Amino acid sequence: MTDTQSGPMGAGVSIAHGMVDPEVEDPRLGPTAMSLRDVSVTFNGRTAVRDVTFDVPANKVTALIGPSGSGKTTLLRSLNRLHDLTKGARVSGQILLGDTDIYNGGIPTTVLRSRIGMVFQRPNPFPTMSIYDNVVSGLRFNGVKKKAILDEAAESALNAAALFDEIKDRMKAHASTLSGGQQQRLCIARALAVEPEVLLMDEPTSALDPISTKKIEELMVDLKKRVTIIIVTHNMQQAARASDVTAFLLMGEDGAGEQIEVDATLKLFSQPSDPRTLDYIQGRFG
Amino acid sequence: MSASPDLLDPVDTLIRDHLRERAQATLKRRQFVSGLMTFLCWTAIAIAAVPLIMILFELFKKGLPYVTSWAFYTQLPQQPTLFDQSHLGGISNSLIGSLAIIGYSCLVAVPLGIGIGIYMAENDTKPAQIMRTVIATMVGAPSILMGLFAFGFIVEQLHVGFSILAGSFALGVMMLPVLASATELAVRNVPPTLREAGLALGAKPSTTSLKIVLPAAITGIVTGCILAISRAVGETAPVLLVIGGTVSAITYLPSQPGNALPYQIYQDVISNYDSQKNQSWGIALFLVIVIFILSLSARIWAARKQKVRR
Amino acid sequence: MADTSTKSVTASAEHYATTLPEGRNRPSGSVRGPYEWTLIALSVIFGLVSFWFVGTILFKSIPAFKQQGFYLLVGNAWNPTDGTTPSQYGALSMIIGTVETSLIAIVLAGVVGMGTSLAINFLLPARLRTFVATIVELLAAVPSVVYGIWGVLVLAPWVASTFGPWLTALPGGATIFGVSLAGKSLLLAGIVLAVMILPTFVAISREVIGAVPAELIEASLSLGATRWQTLWRTVIPTSRIGLFGATTLALGRAFGETIAVALVAGGVVQMNFHPLAQGTSLASFIAGQWGEAEGSDQVPALYALGVFLMLFSLAFSLIANRLVAKQRKAAAL
Repeated sequence: MTDTQSGPMGAGVSIAHGMVDPEVEDPRLGPTAMSLRDVSVTFNGRTAVRDVTFDVPANKVTALIGPSGSGKTTLLRSLNRLHDLTKGARVSGQILLGDTDIYNGGIPTTVLRSRIGMVFQRPNPFPTMSIYDNVVSGLRFNGVKKKAILDEAAESALNAAALFDEIKDRMKAHASTLSGGQQQRLCIARALAVEPEVLLMDEPTSALDPISTKKIEELMVDLKKRVTIIIVTHNMQQAARASDVTAFLLMGEDGAGEQIEVDATLKLFSQPSDPRTLDYIQGRFG
Repeated sequence: MSASPDLLDPVDTLIRDHLRERAQATLKRRQFVSGLMTFLCWTAIAIAAVPLIMILFELFKKGLPYVTSWAFYTQLPQQPTLFDQSHLGGISNSLIGSLAIIGYSCLVAVPLGIGIGIYMAENDTKPAQIMRTVIATMVGAPSILMGLFAFGFIVEQLHVGFSILAGSFALGVMMLPVLASATELAVRNVPPTLREAGLALGAKPSTTSLKIVLPAAITGIVTGCILAISRAVGETAPVLLVIGGTVSAITYLPSQPGNALPYQIYQDVISNYDSQKNQSWGIALFLVIVIFILSLSARIWAARKQKVRR
Repeated sequence: MADTSTKSVTASAEHYATTLPEGRNRPSGSVRGPYEWTLIALSVIFGLVSFWFVGTILFKSIPAFKQQGFYLLVGNAWNPTDGTTPSQYGALSMIIGTVETSLIAIVLAGVVGMGTSLAINFLLPARLRTFVATIVELLAAVPSVVYGIWGVLVLAPWVASTFGPWLTALPGGATIFGVSLAGKSLLLAGIVLAVMILPTFVAISREVIGAVPAELIEASLSLGATRWQTLWRTVIPTSRIGLFGATTLALGRAFGETIAVALVAGGVVQMNFHPLAQGTSLASFIAGQWGEAEGSDQVPALYALGVFLMLFSLAFSLIANRLVAKQRKAAAL
C-alpha cells in the first residue's frame, strides 16, 4: 500500500508558482511545515490526484480550492495516511512532515496522526462520550492518564476552539446536546488537544449555518500561532478570507485532479498566473 | 520541528511534551495489544467457521445419498428391524404432512399477521402500543410454548385430538408475530411523502393505504412471509407435541394425525438403529436446502424489486 | 439513530423491538370504513389469541401447582407414579440446567461472535464481506434440529470415544473431569447452543457494527488511536445498543431451545450441575417427557414447566426492552 517513489529531494527545491508581487510579502518565506513532492493518489490503478508539489508554510493557513472532482479531499486525506484504510488506494511521491517522510520515514501511523490532526466535513463528536471525554479522547488514546494534564489540556483546547466559556458548566454533558456549530468546534478542540503540528480541515463549515461558519473562520486565524492549518474548501470567499496560501486544483482530462497554481492567497485571487484560475475565481465553472 | 515552540503557549508546550513522551512510551504496548487483538479477531472468525463448516460438510456428506434418490420422496418410512436395517423407505408422509401443516397455518396466519402489522403501523393508539409489546415478547417466546398452547386448546379443549390442525395452529401462532412485525416495519419504512401525496390528491386514507402504501411495502411483507415460513418449516418442538406422528399412511386432512419433516428427523435420531439415525441427515439436508432456496430467492427478489423502483 | 438505521431483510423481524422507525399517525378524525374495521377485527382476534395462549398454559398447569405447591419451584426430583403413592414434580434442576446451558452458550457465542463481527467488518476484504454476511444469515435460518443431530451424532460420540478418555487420562483428570464422560453433558449442550446462536448473533452484531459511521472511525484514528483502540473505545460503545439487542435475542433463542438440548444434554434430572454432568432444561424436558406423560398427572406438571419458561421469557423481554429504552434515552440526551 505504501509507495516507494521518491521525488526530487533537497531543501531548496523551488516550486511552480507565478511571479511574486513585490508589494505583497510572500507568506511562504518562513519555515515549512509540510512538503509535497510529486504526490499522486490512485484507487485501484485509477489516478485521482496527480503530481502535486508544493510547500505548506508553518503557522499559516493553506487552502485547497477547486471544483468538485478536483481531488482536494483525496489529497488532504493522503496527508495523514487515511487512505491506508482503503483497499486499493496508493499514494506515491513524497510527503514530508518537517523532515520526516510520512510514508517511508518509518514513523508509525498512530504517531503521525497524533502530529497531524483532522477535522471533518460533518461534526463527528464521539456520540457515547461526554464533552470532556471527547476533548481528552486523543490524549487518552496516546497513553496520557494524569488527571491534571487532561484537565489542563481540555481547558486549553476548548479555549483555543472558543468553546470553553459556552460549555464550562456542562463538561459532563453528552456531546450531542451541543448545536452543530458547537459540535464542530468541539471536534476542533478534540483535534487540538493532542497538540498536533498540522491541522487538516476537510470543508469544516459545509454543514454549518453562516454564523457558525464565520466563527470557525475567525477561529482559524487565531489558531495559526498554535498549528499549521490546511483547509479544503469549496467556498472561494472562505479561502480568500481565511487563508494565507491557496492551492488551486482542477480535474484533468482523464479525471485526475491536477495542481494548476499555488500562490499567496492575495496574489492568487488578484493576479492569477493561469487563465484557468481566473476562470474559476470568476465563477466560470464549477 | 515545524511549529516553532516559541509561538506555542508554555502550558501547551508542557502538555505537548508530556503527550509525546507518553505516546512514545506506550507505543510498543499499544501496537502489541492492537496486533494481538487483531489476531484474536482472526482467531474468532476461524473458531466460528470450523463447527459451522463441519456441520455443513457432515450434512452434505451423509445426506446427499438420500436427497438424490427419488424413492426417498415417494416411499413411506419403514421401521428397520434387527434383521433388516437397510429398508428405511422414504419421507413421503412427512413431506406431504409438512406441506399441509405449513399450508394450513399460512392460510390463517398470513392474512391475520399482515392485517395486524398494518394496523400497528397506521395507529399509534394505546391498544396498538400494547400489541407491539405483546408481539415483541412473542417473537422471542420459546416455540415449545406454542405446542403447549395447541395441545391445550386444539387437542384437548376442542377435542380434535393429535392432528395436523393442531400442528398448523401451533406453527401459525409462531408465525404471527414474525409476520406482524415484518409487515409493520415494511409499512413504516414507506416514505411518508408517498402517503401524503395520496391524501393530497383527495384519496381516502383507506384507498391510500391499499393502493399506494401497501404496494410500496410489498417487498418487505413478502420477505417477512418467506422468513416466517422458512422458520416454521424446520420448527420441531411445537409439532412434536401435537401432530401424533403417523408412519404408515400419507395424511393431509386437518383432522388427521400426521407427520412432518422435523418430526421425522427427531424420530430417526432417537432410534436405536444406526441406519435410521443416519437417515436424519438426509431429511435435515433436504430441509436446509429448502430453507436456503426460500431465503435466497426472497433476498434476490427483494434486491431486484428494489432496483426496479430506483 | 445511527446504529440502527440500516435494516436487513433477515434481521428485520428479529431486532424488531429495537429498530422501529418513528411512528406515523394517519390523519386524525378520519371515518372508519370497511378497511379500518377489518384491521380492527383482525387485531381483536390477535388479542383473543394471545390472551387464550397465556390463559391455556396457566389453566392447564393449575392441577400441578395444587398438587405440588412450592415444591414445583424448589424441588429437585421428578417422580411420576402409578397413583398409589404421590408423585413428585420439582423443576429446580431444569431451571438451573436452563440457566447453565444458556450462560455457557451466550458467553462462548458472545466472545467468538464479537470477534467474528469485528473481523468481518474491519479485516475481511470488502468483496468477501457481503458473501460472508449472506452465508451467516443463511446459517441463522438453519433449523435447530440440524445443530441437534450434529451434536448427538458427531460431537457426543467423539467426546465419549476420544476426547473424554483423553481428558480423564490427564494427570488429575479423573477427579476434575471424571463426573460423566458418556458424551452427553450440560457443557456439550451449551456448546451446541453456542454454535446454533452464533449465526444469529453475528448476523445482527455485524450489521450494527457496520452501521457505525466511517467518520467516527476516521476521527478516532486521526487522534492517534490504534486499530484496537478505535474498535474498543469508539466502534463498540457506539453500537452498544444494537449489540445488546443481538445478545438478548441470541440468549432468548438459547434458553428456549428444545430439540438441540433434548438431544445432547442427556435429559437426566439430578442435582449435579458440573458442566460435564448430564442434565436437562425446561423446554427440552417438556419435549422429552411428553410421550410418556400422556394422560397422567405429569401433563399439568409439564405445563407448569411451560409457565416457568413463559415467565422467564416475559421477564427477559421486559428487562431487555427497559434497558434498551433507557440506553436510548441516555444516548439521545
